Amino acid sequence: MNKSRIRSLALWLLAGLLLLVWAFPVLWALMTSFKSERDVLAYPPTFFFTPTLDNYRAVIFGASSILHNLWSSMVLSSWTTLLTMLFAVPAAYALARLHYPGKRSSGFYVLATQMLPPMGLIIPYYLVLQKIGGLDTYSGLTAIYLSFSLPFAIWLMVSYFEDIPYEMEEAALLDRAGRVRTLWYVILPQVRGGIAVTTIFVFLNAWNEFLFAVVLGGNHVRPVTVAMFNFISVEQTQWARLAAGAMLAMAPVILIGLAAQRHIVKGLTVGAVKGGGRR
Amino acid sequence: MNHSGNVRIEGVVKQHGSFTALHGLDLDIRSGEFFALLGPSGSGKTTTLRILAGLESVNAGRVLLDGQDVTHKEPGERDVAMVFQSYALYPHMTVSENIAFPLRMGGTPAATIAGAVKDAADKVGIGHLLSRRPGQLSGGQQQRCALARAIVRQPRLFLLDEPLSNLDAKLRLETRAELRKLQRALRTTAVYVTHDQEEAMTVADRMAVFMEGRVVQVGTPREIFLRPANVTVAGFIGTPPMNLLAATLADGTVHLAGVGMPVSSAGAARGEVVLGVRPGDLCIAAEGIPAQVDFIEDFGDSTILNLLVGEQRVKVKAGQAPQVSEGQQVRLGFPPSAAHLFDRQSGLRLGN
Repeated sequence: MNKSRIRSLALWLLAGLLLLVWAFPVLWALMTSFKSERDVLAYPPTFFFTPTLDNYRAVIFGASSILHNLWSSMVLSSWTTLLTMLFAVPAAYALARLHYPGKRSSGFYVLATQMLPPMGLIIPYYLVLQKIGGLDTYSGLTAIYLSFSLPFAIWLMVSYFEDIPYEMEEAALLDRAGRVRTLWYVILPQVRGGIAVTTIFVFLNAWNEFLFAVVLGGNHVRPVTVAMFNFISVEQTQWARLAAGAMLAMAPVILIGLAAQRHIVKGLTVGAVKGGGRR
Repeated sequence: MNHSGNVRIEGVVKQHGSFTALHGLDLDIRSGEFFALLGPSGSGKTTTLRILAGLESVNAGRVLLDGQDVTHKEPGERDVAMVFQSYALYPHMTVSENIAFPLRMGGTPAATIAGAVKDAADKVGIGHLLSRRPGQLSGGQQQRCALARAIVRQPRLFLLDEPLSNLDAKLRLETRAELRKLQRALRTTAVYVTHDQEEAMTVADRMAVFMEGRVVQVGTPREIFLRPANVTVAGFIGTPPMNLLAATLADGTVHLAGVGMPVSSAGAARGEVVLGVRPGDLCIAAEGIPAQVDFIEDFGDSTILNLLVGEQRVKVKAGQAPQVSEGQQVRLGFPPSAAHLFDRQSGLRLGN
């Protein structure tokens, strides 16, 4: 009784400590975003200051507005996510279910694209996009993003499909559902969690992408990650504005995370908890 | 109502790579019959069921349902329903949605579905659980839900793949009897796969015994019990199964352990044989085969005596309090008509 109490107290303390370590940079940036440039540079750092919304005003309405960039990020990430999921779900289902020679190795080839360092691909990608007029276009950058997100999403989805017993599908076939309706009514509802998790990961990866965007984008397509970079210049770094921009850039990510938390946890523990059909 | 539902399997061959699961199978199942496919695991009985369902293709041969060739028809086009060993309930649907699913997919108007679902659920006694999800049901209830999903669409054929094997012993006996009653009431042909000979014996109108991808015997449980076609079937059927002893046969008498016992089924056959006698047909007698009592299993209402004849083990089914004790030397007798004789080489039954 007493022992378990100490135990839970220790666990809470540990959790709090971990949370603090993890959240510190975020909290620091949050605080910085409400400071004036002068307060930011004050040394030792001040924790008591007059909060100001100037930085937010500047990054939303001012000359250094990042609204356009947020929109850019949203368009890029949404298209990437939509197209990825559209192709990845059926592809993963096929990989999980069909038997064909070389199936094992094809799974490896799908993943192999993930093993190349992105740096090595940047020059070929640049040259290809330049040839076909895809530099600084949404379609060009989306295509590049797809080449990374698709294998990743397929690989993730396959494991969810593989968790569904064959007999479930056979039962649906005997119940006159046919292939397509079996997929729609029986299989997909059971991988909902997996689809949610994969969608979120793909979206976040696209949202956070920087390297390809900075090289292959431009004035037209400039996602928020690249825009943030502009706050850092040779003469000075506008820390407070950078922080305010970072807060805005993070907002959708955090909102999605909170909204889908239940799904994510459930999706990640799939396999540990089996559906009711099995004993 | 469906009066139909007869099945004909003609020369079906099934190969998995280099392994032959079925070697040219022929089988006739009559309409309205409760037909068991019995055999040890790997004997091809489940493969046969899956071929009937259309879940498995064939390498040769034909499958006919009501005289119509369905060999290459999709599972959904055959008008058959199946209960899987794992039940394969859809975990994201309620019981009622599970049962309604085959009707919905078949295009039954929504207005009639609700009534049909309730009806089917009541027949198997889960009418009060319609809004639950499979995960909230006990094993027995899940099994009934799977059953309801099969009967709701009134198919011409039921396929049951070891439907009771996931239930505990007591529930299995109850459900076995209910299944039998349900099938009788619906009068729909049912094909039932099991490796449990007792289950097949008690439930089936007729059965086929599978061994290594072949049907070795087809008949009513009684026929197969009384006249097993070969040594393997004899050693598989019965609780406990038949005693099988190496012996020699000459002039209507089998010789083993130095004594001769008269048998009535020998005919003119002679030579090296296997003598088969059911445990219930053996008794302790004043004279007969010498044996030593090894140990006694007491079941309360009966006992099984485990004896040694030379080095061969023999089981004898005896009454409540046999007058023997462990280690004792006894003699075993049996009526001449109780002897089953099999050729030692081929394993086939001799005489009648």
